[in-house]
Amino acid sequence: MSEHAPTLVLDRASVAYGDVPVLEELHGVVHEGEAVALIGPNGAGKSTFIKALLGLVPVVRGRIEVLGRPPAQARRDVAYVPQADTLDPDFPVSVEQVVMMGRYRRIGWLRRPSAADRAEVADALEQVGLAGRARDRFGTLSGGQRQRVLLARAIAAKPRMLLLDEPFNGVDAVSQHALLEAIGALKAQGASVVVSTHDLAIAHLACDEVCLLNRHQFGFGPTGDVLTPERLRATYGGHALELRGDRVIVTQT
Amino acid sequence: MILFEPFHLPFMARALVELLVLGALAGTVGVLVLLRRLAFVSDTLTHTVFPGVVIGHLMAGNGGIFWGALAAGVVTAVLLTLLTQRRRVNEDAALAMLLTTLFAVGVVLVSRQTGFTSDLTAFLFGRVLTVTEAQLAQTAVVTVVVVALLAVLRRPLLLRAFDPEGAQAAGVRVGLLDLVLNVAVALVVVAAVKAVGTVLVIALLIVPAAAARRLSDRLAVIVPLACVVGAAAGWLGLVVSYEASVGHGVRLASGATVVLVLVTMYVLAHVAGFVRRKAGLSRARRRSVLEAA
Repeated sequence: MSEHAPTLVLDRASVAYGDVPVLEELHGVVHEGEAVALIGPNGAGKSTFIKALLGLVPVVRGRIEVLGRPPAQARRDVAYVPQADTLDPDFPVSVEQVVMMGRYRRIGWLRRPSAADRAEVADALEQVGLAGRARDRFGTLSGGQRQRVLLARAIAAKPRMLLLDEPFNGVDAVSQHALLEAIGALKAQGASVVVSTHDLAIAHLACDEVCLLNRHQFGFGPTGDVLTPERLRATYGGHALELRGDRVIVTQT
Repeated sequence: MILFEPFHLPFMARALVELLVLGALAGTVGVLVLLRRLAFVSDTLTHTVFPGVVIGHLMAGNGGIFWGALAAGVVTAVLLTLLTQRRRVNEDAALAMLLTTLFAVGVVLVSRQTGFTSDLTAFLFGRVLTVTEAQLAQTAVVTVVVVALLAVLRRPLLLRAFDPEGAQAAGVRVGLLDLVLNVAVALVVVAAVKAVGTVLVIALLIVPAAAARRLSDRLAVIVPLACVVGAAAGWLGLVVSYEASVGHGVRLASGATVVLVLVTMYVLAHVAGFVRRKAGLSRARRRSVLEAA
């Protein structure tokens, strides 16, 4: 299907918190430059899926490989973008400082950020369309802009895989466009992207593959093949309605 | 001049140095306590150090206080770290139980002593005017160690405070980092026992950082400002309590006076911060009106 190297391999994997399995039977492959959308209702395990790729939730059966390594050993090349609204808006950091956090691994503990680090930070802010806001306090930005700053932080880390947890939730159209553009640019540079979302339109727009999740996997493959009314209904447990044959509306997420 | 005159007396000079150093130490650590919202955890630490102080005193007199406090502080810092890592425990309730239990142990132990109330007051509220040079040296060593440790770990500490999940994802050992900060708080309490006692030290940790936060949004300003506020409150508090006692015959406990000066400074900072924000808002409004025009 793709001549590019696989970056994510899921081989009949189950992940669990303690004794409680959260996700079972994950199976699929993602290649360089591809984006996969994680789709499923709330509580389906989308965040857990992402944490498993970071090695923060143990794999109890099967195998997960990120960039050819066990997840915990791949973190150096993986960037995670949390939901902006989980962060304290009163925290006294500037936009620039937040993006610089993406460079911490390269800077280390003691060295001062170099001119190259500063250039990467400026570039990353440029890519998300917030170059003029570098010195503003993070919390003074709108929700969508904060989400873009967090994406810029990930870009500054120069990742080979990008993990985004519901980045489009409550985000205005301008920010959504900027996020999609920046994600597209990362893909073009060969990074793989895993993005959880409620928005089927975004999955169609931005992603090559879809993984349907609700405690276990209801489908993994090319967007057009997987986002079918039958599979969505199965995933959402009857809360998905069919409109005009090929459109699906999810009534309860 | 009244601001300098009292410190010609050697015991006042020692008290001043002790409070200046402590103010700077507590200011630095306090900013992290504020960012991590660890006020209650810190308060727990101040109370659990207390039985250590009492046991140290029972075993080795005044010289044992530091080591008893140190042992109790480090042990409870470890316990608190473990406790707060487990989300399932009702954290507040568990902390409150730990706090009162160990505090009660301290009171029971100290009440078996003769001269009970005098000892109790000293342990709880401190006696900064009787600080010795050895204690000054202890405070200085603790300050150097803690400030150096936090300076080295400043980046992971900042990332962890701002975005705990992001920190984990980036491979930061969050549990270990939390332990370091809890031990740092414990060390501040230990260093401050003699000067302000275990109860008042929480003000020294929280108030300077909170005041500095009112005045600035930038960490590069907040940290030094918190140090200055902490140190200045120590100085002014000593001057006020000295003036009141010597000049006007009103005996003011110096530790408590320092705390009241701190709170006054916080109120002033709050007002100044309010004015600053107002001014900032109207500037922004004017700018947006200009841009629109």
